[in-house]
Order: sequence, then structure tokens, then C-alpha cells
Amino acid sequence: MAETLEAAEAHADDHGGHGEHESFGIDNRKLGMWLFLSSEFLFFGALITNYMVYGNDTFGSVVPREIYDIPFTSVSSFVLLMSSLTMVLAHHSLSIGDQNGTRTWLLATAMLGSVFLGGQVFEFYEFINVYGMALTTNPASSAFFMLTGFHGAHVAIGVIMLLSRFGMARRQGGLSEKQGMNLELVGLYWHFVDIIWIVIFTVVYLLGAV
Amino acid sequence: MTDEAHHAPHPTTGQYVKIAVLLAIVTAVEVALFYVDEAVDMAGWDGPLLIILSFFKFVVVIGWFMHLRFERPLLTRFFAGGFVLALGLYGIVVGSFLVGLITR
Repeated sequence: MAETLEAAEAHADDHGGHGEHESFGIDNRKLGMWLFLSSEFLFFGALITNYMVYGNDTFGSVVPREIYDIPFTSVSSFVLLMSSLTMVLAHHSLSIGDQNGTRTWLLATAMLGSVFLGGQVFEFYEFINVYGMALTTNPASSAFFMLTGFHGAHVAIGVIMLLSRFGMARRQGGLSEKQGMNLELVGLYWHFVDIIWIVIFTVVYLLGAV
Repeated sequence: MTDEAHHAPHPTTGQYVKIAVLLAIVTAVEVALFYVDEAVDMAGWDGPLLIILSFFKFVVVIGWFMHLRFERPLLTRFFAGGFVLALGLYGIVVGSFLVGLITR
């Protein structure tokens, strides 16, 4: 089996490597990632719709929009927005052959993502323990925790992917051209998580608290 | 987007930083709008303004940070397809709730 894989890889190398695996002139991995992200719109679209429908259904208990800490969430949003900058700089560094820069910006992105996650954990802790708003308190709180919780889970997965790229780059002394495509895919995922937060921040926090 | 756009050079480090500063400023304006509406009633104008600013950030991140404006048009169609479907889903759910409220 291993021989077969090696033979297949050698055959692919003879014919230009991964460039052969394209559909519509686009690398299959990139096309797959864009299609996946497109489907994620439906996933988050359903959760945002759910929040907008049930956001006021509180049965007289605590209302999520009355306890939002806008200054705190604004800083979290700024942190995630800046992580998109560091992510694109990591990819840009690799494209110009700056392996040190790639590692530095990758680590910075993972750190900023972790800060955002820390902020979300703090926010959830306050909502549950200070304000008594938990997942099952009312339909509004369920919708809020489902939406922001799933977004947080996506950020956590992104941080793991970033740290794995960073570890790989550190162990090997840099990322190869083929691994560069994988970094681009991680970058696409990370920016997508950022644009979903742009929507959540506006729709849930700013508009929701008006 | 033409094939020329596909081969257009990607932004430089300085341009990426400028885009990030622009995004940060727009975010600050959004938060300021929130507080302005609390102090002075904006008669419902804050909602549309916040949505426009948010959509602007959304497009800038997709176009420049995700490089979609430098990619083949097919990717834009795939991506926009998912977004339009999500908007359609929202419209159907809200519409069905409104119909339920009217006929109740």
C-alpha cells in the first residue's frame, strides 16, 4: 500500500505535482474550501435567524440584550479583526519567502484568536454566574449561546489549525510551497470566522441592544 | 471580474495594514453610532447605518483579505450563492412567522 502511495506521488510529481488536481482551473482543495465556507453561511444563517426570531422570547426572565457589555465586546471584535490582518501577513510572508515572518504572524494570529476566546469565556461566565442567564434559561438565551458558542467553537478549531501550522513550520524550519496552499486554506477559514463575527457583532450586539 | 483581475498583483504589506486600519475605524464608527443613538434618538437611522457599515467590512475582508477579488469569478459565484441561500432561509423563516402571526 505504501509502495502504491509512493508510486502515485512520484507519478504526480512527474506530471507537475498537485497542479494537475484542478477543477475549472482552480486547485481542488481551494475549491473545496470555498464550497465548504459557502455552506457555512447556511449554518450560521440558521443560527442568526434563530436568534432574531427568539431574541425577545424571555418569559419575563433575563433579556440577553440588556446585559451585553458593548465596550468589552467591541474590544473583542477589534482583536479578531486584527487577527485577520496578522493572518494575511503570515500568508504574504510565505509568498515572499520570509519563513521567520510566517512563523511570527502565525503565532500572533493564534494568540489573538486565543484572546478572543478568553473574552468569550469571561462573557459566558459573567452571564451565567452574575446575571443567571444560562443555556436553558429561556429561548432567547438558548439562541444567544448556540450562536456565539458555535462561533467560538469555530474560532477554537481555527486556533488549533494555526498552532499546528506554526508547529510544522518550526519543526521543519519553514513551510514548503505545497504546505503554503494548506496555509492559504487555513487563512480562508480564519477570515470566514472573522466575517461571521462582523455580522454577529452588528446584528446581535449593536442592533440587538438598541 | 475578468481574467485580468485574476492575474492582478496582490496587495503589499503596507496596503494590508491600511485596509486593517480602515476596518478598525469603521468598527469604531459602529460603536460610536450605538452610543450616539443612546444619547440622541436617531429615529431608527442607526439600524440601516450599522448594517451598511457591517456589510462594507464584510465585503472588504472577503475581497482583500480572502483575495476573492483576485480569484476566478467562479469562486465569487459559489460564495455568493451560499450567502444568498442564507438570506433566503432568513426570509422564509421570518415570512412564515409573520404569516403565522397574521393568521393566528
